[in-house]
Amino acid sequence: MRIIIVDDESLARGVVREYLAEHADVEIVAECANGFEAVKAIAELEPDLVFLDIQMPKLDGFEVAELAAGKAHFIFATAFDQYAIKAFEFHALDYLLKPFSQQRFDQALAHARLRMSSGAGGAVQAMAREAVARNKPVGRVLIRDGAKVHVIASEKIDYIEAQDDYVQIRAEGKSYLKNQSLSELEGQLEPERFLRIHRSYIVNIECVSRIEQATKDSHVAILRDGSKLPISRSGYQKIRAVVQ
Amino acid sequence: MEGLFSSRRGGVVYLLVWLFLGSALGGVVSLSSEARLPNAMLFAVPVCLVYAYMSGYSAYYLCRAYPLGSPKAGAIPLVFSVAALMSGVLWLIVAQAWNGLCQLAGPEWTGIVLTPPLQALIVGLGILLYGFAAAVHYLVIEFVRAKSAEQRELESKLMAQDAELRMLRTQIDPHFLFNSLNSISALTSQNPKAARAMTLELASFFRQSLGLDAHRMISLGEEMVLIRHFLSVEQVRFGERLAVDEQVAEEALPCLVPPMIIQPLVENAVKHGIGGLTEGGTVRIKAQRNGSLLHIRVENEYDADEPQKKGNGIGLANVRQLLACAYKHEASIHWARQGAVFAVDITLPAELG
Repeated sequence: MRIIIVDDESLARGVVREYLAEHADVEIVAECANGFEAVKAIAELEPDLVFLDIQMPKLDGFEVAELAAGKAHFIFATAFDQYAIKAFEFHALDYLLKPFSQQRFDQALAHARLRMSSGAGGAVQAMAREAVARNKPVGRVLIRDGAKVHVIASEKIDYIEAQDDYVQIRAEGKSYLKNQSLSELEGQLEPERFLRIHRSYIVNIECVSRIEQATKDSHVAILRDGSKLPISRSGYQKIRAVVQ
Repeated sequence: MEGLFSSRRGGVVYLLVWLFLGSALGGVVSLSSEARLPNAMLFAVPVCLVYAYMSGYSAYYLCRAYPLGSPKAGAIPLVFSVAALMSGVLWLIVAQAWNGLCQLAGPEWTGIVLTPPLQALIVGLGILLYGFAAAVHYLVIEFVRAKSAEQRELESKLMAQDAELRMLRTQIDPHFLFNSLNSISALTSQNPKAARAMTLELASFFRQSLGLDAHRMISLGEEMVLIRHFLSVEQVRFGERLAVDEQVAEEALPCLVPPMIIQPLVENAVKHGIGGLTEGGTVRIKAQRNGSLLHIRVENEYDADEPQKKGNGIGLANVRQLLACAYKHEASIHWARQGAVFAVDITLPAELG
């Protein structure tokens, strides 16, 4: 079994390394000290299991899990974070409270092996999404692009378009694809800045330069960069209320 | 006896008022009848003083028995009318008895003629004065009650403030405790000596911070010892990521500060500043004395890309409250972000023990 250890404290990584030494079939393929490294290592090394601390610089454990969910199984660890513990309990996920014993660690590892063989993993993604959304306002959107992570400040986003299972985020003249539903992303963005003007579009109100009548009873929003977005009837009500 | 007679001053004022009333009555008696002034005075003043206590005590007990705002309050007018009438009549009997006694005694300067109009005047006056005494009692009782309620409120406020202060000071971040224990757990096999050293630092920190008396100021030097224990524990956890730079002027060390006033700022600097930096950074603590003022500054590098987290202001709000409790408006706290550095400045009066 291939394992990655993610924790910003080297002593804490040391404990995990020491406990893993008891298990002959385990290979530690990487140790990461922050979230960016972790996402990169998970994408490149495709481990079976990731030992993941919650409190870290740059990206916290939830954000790493959100970006890398489905790629690996996770064992979460935290010292004292009631909010994280609540999230784990809610989704019936195993987690370790620091400091933990070898016995407790072995137990978590055994659970993880069981999950791997049964192939269950959806709960992690759901938990991570919820946890990230609840840390509102996020103020930023994370997009994984292979081994790279793009961090986009929400005020830089012009608009977001739904495309099948993906959303396309337009920011500073570039497009990014993210595997998430538009409604879910809408819930994570600041409601005072972003408006759902159409079933398939969320727009940053500050980027709208004017609203034009397209046909007899439909409108389009013209953005500052000239792109045109359709506005639905209910979307028109919403944007009129805000713009005026 | 409470109320009006509870203080000597109250009793004296009451007596003086009645002496005045007695003299006035004497004057009226001498003017309205043929009685000479000494006779009128000798009659009126003792009679009034007797009535002062008769009506005073009787009205006081009735006021206690029928407090304002109680369900029995509706009966007050009836009760007091009856009581006033009865005491007015009683007073007349007392006055007649006294006058009789005076007349028996014989000298020409004693005794007056109690004409029927004078008798009516005494009963009427008795009723009025009884009402007056009752009104005064009610006023005093209400006044005392309002004052004691105010005092109780003040006391409970003080107690709440006290409890809050204690809570603010003994607030220990569980994150800090459990992460430190995790580091010790790691060190026990990797480096037992370091594990012991860290345990001792942690014990010193908790022993000192738990032993602090909320109301006793400590010297800046003592606070710095506490902070050094805290930082050496954190330095084990963060390794090379956490650097510390201490610039505390010699003359600032003996100045008195409220305990645990700088430690929360240092804790914040580590947790929210250095903890968010992959490459780590430096926590700087500066203190200097300028005349009658003590300036303290805690600054740290932080990740400017990171969206500002909530929760961040709790430590700062605590410190602001502690300063307000200790110095009112004589102390101030400001914080600001300049580029990639977050700095907190505290100014407080420089006091020596």
